[in-house]
Amino acid sequence: MSLTRRAFIRNLSATGGGLCLGFTLHSRAQGPDELRPNAFLRISPTGAIALQIHKAEMGQGVVTGFCTVVAEELGVLPEAIDFQFAPVDPAFKDPDFHMQITGGSTSLRVNYTMLRRTGASARDMLLRAASARSGKPYAALACVEGRVRDTDGGVDFSFAELADEAAGFPVPEDPPLKAAADFTLVGRFDDRLDSASKVDGSARYGIDAGPPGVPLAVMVRPPVAHGRMTGFSADAARAMPGVLAVVAVDGGVAVVAGNYWRARKAAEAVEVRWEASSSELVDSQRIDDALRAAFRDGDFREVREDGAPPPENAGALLEAEYSVPFLAHAAMEPLNCTLVPDGDGAEVWVGTQAPDLARSFAALGLGIDEERIVVHNQFLGGGFGRRAFADNVFEAAQIARAIDGPVKLVWSREDDTRHDFYRPASRSQLRARLDGGHVLGWEHRIAGPSVMQSAAASIAPGLLPGWIPDGLIRFGAGLLGDRDGSSVEGAKELPYAFDHVRVSYCNVETPVRLGFWRSVGHSFNAFVVECFVDELAHAAGEDPLAFRRRHLAADSPQRRVLDAVATLAGWGAAPAGHFQGVAVHASFESVVAEVVEISLSDGQPKLEKVYCAVDCGTAVNPDIVRAQMESGIVFGLTAALKGEITFVDGAVQQGNFHDYEILRMHEVPPIEVAIIDSDAPPTGVGEPGTPPAAPALANAIFAATGQRLRSLPLRLA
Amino acid sequence: MQPVTYELLLNGRSRQVTVEEDTPLLWVLRDLLGLTGTKFGCGMGLCGACTVHLDGTPARSCLLPIAAVAGRAITTIEGLAQDGQHPLQRAWVSEGVPQCGYCQSGQIMTAAALLADQGQPSDADIDSAMSGILCRCGTYDRIRRAIRRAAVELWEPDGEAGQ
Repeated sequence: MSLTRRAFIRNLSATGGGLCLGFTLHSRAQGPDELRPNAFLRISPTGAIALQIHKAEMGQGVVTGFCTVVAEELGVLPEAIDFQFAPVDPAFKDPDFHMQITGGSTSLRVNYTMLRRTGASARDMLLRAASARSGKPYAALACVEGRVRDTDGGVDFSFAELADEAAGFPVPEDPPLKAAADFTLVGRFDDRLDSASKVDGSARYGIDAGPPGVPLAVMVRPPVAHGRMTGFSADAARAMPGVLAVVAVDGGVAVVAGNYWRARKAAEAVEVRWEASSSELVDSQRIDDALRAAFRDGDFREVREDGAPPPENAGALLEAEYSVPFLAHAAMEPLNCTLVPDGDGAEVWVGTQAPDLARSFAALGLGIDEERIVVHNQFLGGGFGRRAFADNVFEAAQIARAIDGPVKLVWSREDDTRHDFYRPASRSQLRARLDGGHVLGWEHRIAGPSVMQSAAASIAPGLLPGWIPDGLIRFGAGLLGDRDGSSVEGAKELPYAFDHVRVSYCNVETPVRLGFWRSVGHSFNAFVVECFVDELAHAAGEDPLAFRRRHLAADSPQRRVLDAVATLAGWGAAPAGHFQGVAVHASFESVVAEVVEISLSDGQPKLEKVYCAVDCGTAVNPDIVRAQMESGIVFGLTAALKGEITFVDGAVQQGNFHDYEILRMHEVPPIEVAIIDSDAPPTGVGEPGTPPAAPALANAIFAATGQRLRSLPLRLA
Repeated sequence: MQPVTYELLLNGRSRQVTVEEDTPLLWVLRDLLGLTGTKFGCGMGLCGACTVHLDGTPARSCLLPIAAVAGRAITTIEGLAQDGQHPLQRAWVSEGVPQCGYCQSGQIMTAAALLADQGQPSDADIDSAMSGILCRCGTYDRIRRAIRRAAVELWEPDGEAGQ
């Protein structure tokens, strides 16, 4: 064990360069023989402390979280640490995704212990250096706010003066970690390290990055998703002021000009000719018909069965069908990418959740080796899963290759809405048998396309050698689709103790390209499960919260967060004219319960208040945990009330914020969040706030109106 | 359309740009002058990420042709206060408002105009002034709190706020 642990942290200090520890993140899935450092903590002889962050900062607070955990063990203030976004390195690949990716609410929960151990190792080496220099016993020394001091005040060294000497000591095999009771930062530090730059305009997002003077490119695309361009006319565009080039690339025509406005105006003068067979034209109605038909003759694969099925005709039968639409991500920063060829290589500036994918697609688009490409990751103006793809980078690379020069590609909002990797539509059929308050059976059948199958086919060209045929890629992705856990996640793990539970899935392929949308399968399965449980409670004539509690183990985290949210919300005692709905859901190893409180205004639901209780293990930064719950809730409520992408004759019908709306300030109520006290390691916070929001709202609408709405977005009759 | 030279009064300084007259201010700021704090979100005046002040009034720079702003006082997030120390900017940090942060320039510029205009806005005033600025991270309730905090500070500039 100690050998393995030692191998995770290496002393990479260079003579006179201070203390540098290389360490291996994502250590849980790696064997000792493949260990090599993929992250760095440096204390330079000037006293500067640098931590290289291998994750993307898209608002979820990963920069602050990582720095806080290291600072806690090292004995510095978090703001003393300079964070740097890491370059692409094979060693950063996520062990689950096999890519260097930020997603799945994994960053802190997977890396927490390693970050602590690294901070503690550096602290140990600094203390040994201080002890050697002062002659004071090691045990009498402590690291406090960037200095090493002893108990009686006789020793007071800065980290700067000790860094070189500390580098000469061995990395400890098993550095002592602080006891949770001694934490001064973890669970207490409430600031964000990136706030200051985000209120004065200085934070650099992808769209702001890169060298000055790079020409701007915009795209003109066929109006339908699977249209093939057969030609284009650009004479008028080429004659417009400042237009540098009009070139065809995969997916459309790029117009390159000195600034965005010139490119955009010229783009309006480009005419694209295209063709598509009628069977390729994506149509929402046709997709919905296919999902419905699956319940008649589809091939359902069982993903869970517990207990014995109840006899036919036992108890009362409840049946319901639920559906959810396709959704776009609608991050505020439209996709973009700046790419500057440099000799036989290139530099890329982009805000991405998957830097290695960005590099691969840059290489593919440029037709050069990916080892010659450097990716500079930037702040992300929202990610939510959209920036786990690199189609924008591929386009920028193709444009740069075609014009043989640097380019900054900026998508329009319409590009962003109409060329997303969408959250899939899905339908669920539910049957339950109820004998009074006793649930004899719960059967949940899910029909929908597979996110993983579609996403794998989208990213494979960047990851696999070019000689692998498309057909083989699609075949492999198809196999993945049948085993795709993300289609059933949140339904398979039904936490309630019912006599019989059966969950099955039918993979219904659609021509829509799909992606990871904040909480992925949980985003729709929580809605279905928690609404139908509500239906059972009402059928049993029982309070929905009491019904849930009765079917949950007394020591379950679901029970704990339900009780906490009930207290917070004053469950059962809403003000006159207010109505509450509740939902609880576990995702990404955290458990969240929410109560949505509404009133009716002109017959429409008006959000009055949202209450939330979350068990996410140790809340490293409680205010960021609260902020992520608030954020996830607003994201979920936006989908519940507004979100719907539809396809007609192959084209996405929505384009900008007037027809793909997101909630505005006057529609969003105050949100109160309670964090369950816990010493357990941290679990996910970026996504788990989203799933319970839609069902809690739908259940509140039922409480207020008696209408059971089973389709998103929620629309009262 | 031929480029025209315009004199701009930008963040208290005089700047000269030569550009087609229909070019929106947003792209003059970002592409010609390198002031990237003002953000592009929708290009249709729907999201407010591009909000700047024109003679102290909030305006959507993605829709404002450069010809319409010449000679008027333009303030961007970079010029709102020295060293990012406007009471709203401090309040934004104290309340932990920014997440991804992309919309926050537009939020702060809109809020600054609201406070300059109304001093002590009610919650309804805040919702009404701010509902045009979209935030996909859902930071709205914190923005409300930050505006209230800054309003108190501006009302009691000697620092009694928060005591």
